[in-house]
This record gives sequence, C-alpha cells and structure tokens, in this order.
Amino acid sequence: MTSALRGIDPSRYVVHVGFLLIFALFAVVLKDDGFLTSTNLLNIAQQTAPVTVMAVGMVFVFTAGEIDLSIGSVVAISALIAATVMREYAWPLAVVAGLGTGIGIGLLNGALVAYARLPSFLVTLATMGLLAGVARWLTNLQSVPITQNLFNNLFGAGRLAGIPSLVFWTVAVVGIGHFIHRETRFGAHVHATGDNARAARAIGIRIEQVRLAVLVISATTAALAGLLYAGRLHGARYTLGETDLLTVIAAVIVGGTHLNGGIGTVTGALIGSLLMGMLNNGLILMGLSVSEQMMVRGLIILAAVALTLREPNR
Amino acid sequence: MQRRSLGPLALAALLAASGSSQAAPKPTSGPHGEAATPAAQLTLTPEQEAAVRAGGFTAALVWHTSSDYTTAVNAGAMDELQRLGIEVVAQTDAGFDAAKQMSDVETVMAKQPSLILSLPVDPETAPEAYAPAQAAGTTLVFVDNSPKGYVQGKDYVTVVSDDLAQMGAKAGQAMAQAIGGKGKIGYVFHDADFYVTNQRDHAFRQTILGEYPDITIAVEQGLADPARAEDIANALVTKHPDLDGIYATWAEPAELVLAALRNAGNTHTKIVTLDLSETLALDMVQGGNVAAIVADEAYAIGVGVARAGALGLLGQTVEPFYVVDALAVTSDTVRDGWNRSLHRDPPASLLEQ
Repeated sequence: MTSALRGIDPSRYVVHVGFLLIFALFAVVLKDDGFLTSTNLLNIAQQTAPVTVMAVGMVFVFTAGEIDLSIGSVVAISALIAATVMREYAWPLAVVAGLGTGIGIGLLNGALVAYARLPSFLVTLATMGLLAGVARWLTNLQSVPITQNLFNNLFGAGRLAGIPSLVFWTVAVVGIGHFIHRETRFGAHVHATGDNARAARAIGIRIEQVRLAVLVISATTAALAGLLYAGRLHGARYTLGETDLLTVIAAVIVGGTHLNGGIGTVTGALIGSLLMGMLNNGLILMGLSVSEQMMVRGLIILAAVALTLREPNR
Repeated sequence: MQRRSLGPLALAALLAASGSSQAAPKPTSGPHGEAATPAAQLTLTPEQEAAVRAGGFTAALVWHTSSDYTTAVNAGAMDELQRLGIEVVAQTDAGFDAAKQMSDVETVMAKQPSLILSLPVDPETAPEAYAPAQAAGTTLVFVDNSPKGYVQGKDYVTVVSDDLAQMGAKAGQAMAQAIGGKGKIGYVFHDADFYVTNQRDHAFRQTILGEYPDITIAVEQGLADPARAEDIANALVTKHPDLDGIYATWAEPAELVLAALRNAGNTHTKIVTLDLSETLALDMVQGGNVAAIVADEAYAIGVGVARAGALGLLGQTVEPFYVVDALAVTSDTVRDGWNRSLHRDPPASLLEQ
C-alpha cells in the first residue's frame, strides 16, 4: 500500500457504501410502498435518534479500548427520574436531574474502571444489573406520564419547520461528538489510550482521566437518550432502553469503530445507526413476516460486519 | 359468583377439560372494567362480508412480541382477514419495547393501512404510539388492552382478549385436582407490570385461597427477569423439596421448574402452568411432573379482532370487550387442546406417546 493510502482505513467507508446500496435497493423495491416519502425518511431519522445519541458515546468508549454495557439501564433510570421530577417541578430541573443521574453513574463506572483498575466489561455489567433493579424499584414498575408539553416537544414529539426535534438532537450530538473525537486534544488522547495505553502513559497522557471521561460521556449520552425516549412517548417506563445495547454496539461496529480500541468514527456510527433503522423500516414495509424480517436483518448485519471488520492488511 | 354465558363449544370444553365440579370462574372484566362478551358473538352477515370484500381494505398487524401465542393470534387474524378480502400489508414485533412499538406504528403508516390490529405494550404511553394512526383515521382494534384515555367506539373499535381470570382460575382448579385438593404449593408469579400475567396470577392465587382451604401457598416467588427463572426454580426446589405442587406463571419458567425438579430427582411435585409448550406437554403425556397446562383460544382471538376490524371498517359499533375461552389441557386432552388453542395438531412427539 502506498504511503498516501496508509492513513485511510477502507473498513471505515464500507458502511457508507453498504448504506447507499441498501437505500437504493429499498428505494427501488419499495417505491410504491411509501419508503421514499419524506414522512417515512424523517421517521427513520427520529426513530434512530436515541440509538444514534448513545452510539456517539459508545464510539468514545470503544476508541479508548473500553466498553459500557450499562447504557440501557441508564436510559430507563434517567427517563424515570426526569419524569418523576416533572410531576412536581418545572421541566428544566427534570432535565438537569436526568442528565445529572447519567453523569453520576458515569463517574461511578469511570472511577471503578480508571482508579480501582477493574475491567470495564465487568464493572458496567454489574452496574447494568444494579441500575435495572433500581429502575424497576423506583416506580414499582409503573409508567410515569409526562404532561409538560414544552418538554415533550423539545425532546421528542415537537417539530421546527417540519423537522422533528429528535433530528436536531441527532445532528447536534453527532456534530459535537465528531468534533471532539476528531479535532481536539482530548480526542487524540482517547485514540492514543485505546491504541496503546502504555505508550500513551509514557508520552504523558493521563489515561485514568481519559477512561473516566469516556465512561462519563457514554452515560451522559445514554441519559440524554432516556430524555428523548421520554419526550417521544410522553412518559417513562422501566423497560426503556432495555433492548438497545446490542443495537448500539452493532451500529458502532458496523460503522467502522474497532472493539479493541484505537480506531473509531462518530459519523460511521451515525450511518450504522441509520442503517439499523432503515433495515427495520424497509423490511416491515416489504410486508415480510416477523420471522422473515429477523432472518433477513441478521444476514444483512452479518454481511456488513464481515466487510467492515475484515482487517485490510492481512 | 356470576356465571358467564357459555357457547356450546365452551361448554363442551369445560366438560372435556376437567370433569371437576367447581363453578365457572368469575368472568374477566376489561382493562377499564368493561363487561365481557363472548368473542363467538362477533359475526358478519353475508351482506356485510360482501361490503368488506368490495371495500379494497388493507391491514397492518402490530404485535407486542413473538411467541406461540402471538403466532396463533396472528394466524387467526391472517386467515380471517384473507377470508374477508382484506390484504395484510405489514407485520411487526415490538419485543415488549414501547418505543419500538411506536416506531412500528409510524413505519406501517407509510403503507396507509385501513385497519391496524395491535396489542399495546404499555397502555400508559400507547396514546402517543398510536397517534399517527388515529390522526390518519385508521381503524384500530386491540388485543388485551387499550391505550389510556382512548374511548371505545370513537378511538378504537373494541378489545378482544383471552379470559385471563378464567385461565388463572382453571389453573387453580387443575392444581387442586392434581394434588387431590390438599397440600402445600409454591406460587411462581410474574413480578412485572404486565396486565396479562398479573391478572392470571392473581386469579390463580384467589382461586386457591378462596376455594381450597386445605391447600396452602407455602412459598411465593416473584419472577422479574425470565432469564433468571432457572436460578429461582433451582432455589425453590432445593429449599422446598416437599411441595405438592408448583404453579409457574407461564410455560418458559415452568420448563425451568421442570428441569430443576428432574435434576433433584423429584417425581412427586406437580406443575401447573399456562400457555402450551411441547416440552411440558411431553412430560405430561409421559406421566411426569406436569399435571395440566391451561391455554386460551389464541387463534380465536385473532379471528375476533379481524372480524371486529371488518365491522369497524363498515362503521358498525360493537361491544367494548370480547373474550375467548380458556381450557385446561391434561394428558388426555392434548390433541383437542392444541387444536382449540393454536388451531393445529400437537407436535408429532406428543401423539406418538
């Protein structure tokens, strides 16, 4: 490979091509089934918003060579806390409480990983279970409705100039995430820590701080995803986010981020997340039975992962 | 106790299923206290059927999860919709996730179905989930539950459900019969906010407590996470080897209770559970621990929602809440039970016994 190409990891762009191919396929096959209508395309964008937001956080975690399994539980707990606070207080306080919950959990995860030197897989596996229990106990399994419409519009159901507010959140989080990940000193430290922690430490990077920070980012994005779900559904429930972990991981990995650290892309994760949403949408519109949808989705994801994760230099 | 009006089919079922002398259980009321009407009363006249066929209607099936039950409901709905000339344009499975179900409704609306048949995952947040369908004037019919605040006859056609209280009560009666009307039992209930299992569990417990003074519920064990059912079953069987019977809230945890009993070499503790399962039925026909499996006429639920939907499309009003019957399947009634519940013969393994 020439030196000019060495900096380019082709696996990062496979998802873009795959996305376009599948989009084109659906566009042709489903042209009479509403797939290409602006409503349907906006639906895909807003349905994937919470997963995309979490995927941005997970890119940081993976790039630093860690993993965060607790995000699904953080979604439920922050949504429930925000919804409960909103019963008595104005929504801005609820937003602070919800996001604060995420930050607090991120600090706990991060401290155990960075300073107690426990593996992130086990720490976040434990907090996932712990927090799922707390979420169930908090409201005794009851859903908590949210009646503050400004919150619901801002975080979920609202639109500005015909664009759903969830799309604005996606753009904002992906934009900020991409900038921090690619353009800042901190982003470089995250890459260095995941690539080779010992070397990163040797050149003066405080890898403990990096590990703490990525887990705080991840939990905060999960808390924001919880608020987005709550706004969208006009309420919170202990099952929110329960099934999202694997979708988020799949979106991030299909997007070209490596599980073992050092390589990651926020825009790839966005494409990965949209790909997952588009598959769900298109396969339903094809009129397939639920079993057929699952099989086809599994095969497509397998193909995407196989292409994305193939080591180019081997 | 109020006796519900039973169709000839249901009466035959009662006779076939038990031979027990207990009174018919108290009928289920709807999620908002609606009186129950037998789903067999949902019928269309030939003129109505012709009008539906001429209408060129389409339907989307928006389910809460995938299971044997959903498969049977789905099959009943598909068959009846096809018979009525209504084309099914989409099917979805929310995996018990309210947010996913909301996305599913949005997605199927791209195909502009005339009719949506659905089981709402979470009634509290469901009004938002079905809002796009309601805004588009799509006719809605629900299984088991309706979105909070929705008005029957205006926002949706009706709710069709299994008779949850009857299922729980029949499980109680089957348990009493299996252990000879007296003894100590374990009660493994679903410890989650899910209307269906909650109602059934409650009815079982009430039946035992109310009708069988010689049976004591020696241990009550909540099951929150089905993935942990095996641990719970093992602990229960180890700690209480002398139980005469164990009630398990549905088939999957019951299979794990059965595995735990087998591991412990326990042949005397009887299992009663709900929802048909080949593993459990095989043990039952081989004379193992499983004494009875209570099932609902799931296929008939699908037929019922499809008919209610067709009537709704014609602008007809119907009763607010319909139920199908429940049946206790024992080793003698496996073939009949499978056919009435799932509309197919039992797996070959059960017929070979």
